[in-house]
Amino acid sequence: MQNAKDTFYVTLQSRLAALNPARTIVVRGVVRPGTLVEENELPSAAVPVDAFRLQWTGLQANSAGPLPLVAMECSIQYATDGSSGNGSMDRGRLLSAMDAELAAALGAEPHMVPKMNYAAAGAGIAATPMGTNVFWADPVFGAATAVDERLERTSTVQVFAYQEAGEL
Amino acid sequence: MSTTTTGAGVVASVAPVTRRVRAYFAPVNRLAGVPTLFDAAQLGRFDLHAPPAPWIDMGWVSGFTRKCGTKVDALRAGAPAITVGQVRTGVEATVSLAFETWGKLQVTLASGSQQTNLLTTAAGATPNGSGGVAAAPVPLLTGTGPASTATSLNVGAAAAAGFSVGSLVAVDIDYTGQLGYVGTGISSAYVQTANAVGGDINYVRRVTLNVGVVVAISAGVLELASPLPAGVPTAGMQVSQLVGFCDREGASFFQEWSGLFVMPGAQGDRVLVHYPRLQAMQGSTETEEALAAPLESIRLAGAFRALPVKDANDGETVLCFRSYLPAVLRGV
Repeated sequence: MQNAKDTFYVTLQSRLAALNPARTIVVRGVVRPGTLVEENELPSAAVPVDAFRLQWTGLQANSAGPLPLVAMECSIQYATDGSSGNGSMDRGRLLSAMDAELAAALGAEPHMVPKMNYAAAGAGIAATPMGTNVFWADPVFGAATAVDERLERTSTVQVFAYQEAGEL
Repeated sequence: MSTTTTGAGVVASVAPVTRRVRAYFAPVNRLAGVPTLFDAAQLGRFDLHAPPAPWIDMGWVSGFTRKCGTKVDALRAGAPAITVGQVRTGVEATVSLAFETWGKLQVTLASGSQQTNLLTTAAGATPNGSGGVAAAPVPLLTGTGPASTATSLNVGAAAAAGFSVGSLVAVDIDYTGQLGYVGTGISSAYVQTANAVGGDINYVRRVTLNVGVVVAISAGVLELASPLPAGVPTAGMQVSQLVGFCDREGASFFQEWSGLFVMPGAQGDRVLVHYPRLQAMQGSTETEEALAAPLESIRLAGAFRALPVKDANDGETVLCFRSYLPAVLRGV
C-alpha cells in the first residue's frame, strides 16, 4: 500500500508543479513544490497555506480477485489567506485557482500511473517500477469553509491499487 | 550480437477496470454493402485521440449497453425427451448509448434516419419543417487563387463577404437527378425518385455530412475548424450556409455505420468491441440528466441493431467482435 501512496503523491506533486511551478512551499528550510503528505512531515499545529496537504484516510481491501484490490481515500486539504498586497480580498480567486489546479491534475489523462517502489530510492537511485498501475476516480470537492480571512477546502479522491505478490 | 530474454515475472490477470467508453464510427459503403472492418490485431493499440482512418472519433459515451439477443435452445430427443445437444435458433445483438457531445455526426447517428442540414433559406421561402427552399449556393473557384482543400474553401472575395466567422457550411455536389444513395464520402440519404426531392439542386447539400464551421476568412478563402469528412472538395461542389440540423420521426432511411467501442483499462489492458454493421433501431430520442433543478443536461440517445458479416478466417456469419488486449506481462 505504501508504494501506491508514494506513487500517487509523486504523480500528483509533479502534475501540480507542472501546472503552476510558482506554487512552492518551504519545508524545514527547503523550497519544494507546494504539495506534501502530512504523515511524512514533522507534526505541527501550523497550517501551511497556498499548498496542498495530503492525508490518507479511508482504506478498503477486496481480496475477491487474484490480486487484492486496495481502495484508499486521499483527503487533500488546501487553504489560502489571500495575498497581503490585496488586503486578502483575492482569497476567493486564489482558492479557485487551487481548485482548478487540483481538478486539472487529477482529471488529466492518463488516470493511471505505473506503481513505483520508492523504498530504496534516493540521490542517484531511481525508484523501481512494479508490475501494476495505480489509478484513481474523479475528485469530490467539499464545501469551502471560512475562518476569519482564511478560506479552506477539502477534496477527496479514491485511489486504487493492486497488492502485488510479496508486497506489504 | 545476441539477445538474452530473462524470465520476467508475470502478474496475475485481473478484471479490466475502466472509467468510460469511447466510440468511433466509420462509414459503410452502402452502394456496395461493404462495411469498414477494424483489425484489432493490427490497430488495437491505436491512440484513442487519433483513430486510424476512416474511423471518426465520436468522443466518450455514457450508458453504453450491449445486449445479446441470441437464443440458444435445447435439442431434445427420445421419450421422455432428453437434451442431447443445443442449437442457436436466433442470433441478434443490439447496442445503446448516449453521446456526450452534440456534433453533426452524433446527431445524425442518434436520429435513426436521414438528418438534414437547415440550409439558409432564400428570401420569401415558404415555411417547411426541415427548412424551406435554400438560398443559391456559392461555387468553389478553380483557376483563381489557391485551390480548395479539406480545410480551406476558395469562394472568392465577393462571395466570402456573405460569410462570417462562425458560419456553418455544407459542401457537396448539386442534385442533378441522382437516384439511390447520395452524399459525398458518406451515404447520408437515399433518393427514390427525383420528384420526391422536387429536383432541388441543393438536396445533396441538404443531407450531406460534409459540413464544417468557418473559423477565419482571408482573401476570399474560408478556413474551416476541422477537415471536411469527405476530404478535398471535388469539381462541381458548391457551398451552402446552414443554421443547424434537423431530423424527423418516421423518415424511411436507415443509418448504417461500422462501430468501434473502446474501453481502456486501468492496467494498460484494453477491451475493443467492433460491430462492422450497425443500423439505427430507434428514432430521435434524448435522455435527460438532472444537474440541479431546474437544469437538465440533454444527451443524444442512440440505439443500434447489429447486422451480419462473414469472418474471412472461417466463413462464420457473426454480428460483432470483442477483442481483449492484455496489459504487458499479465497472466493469460
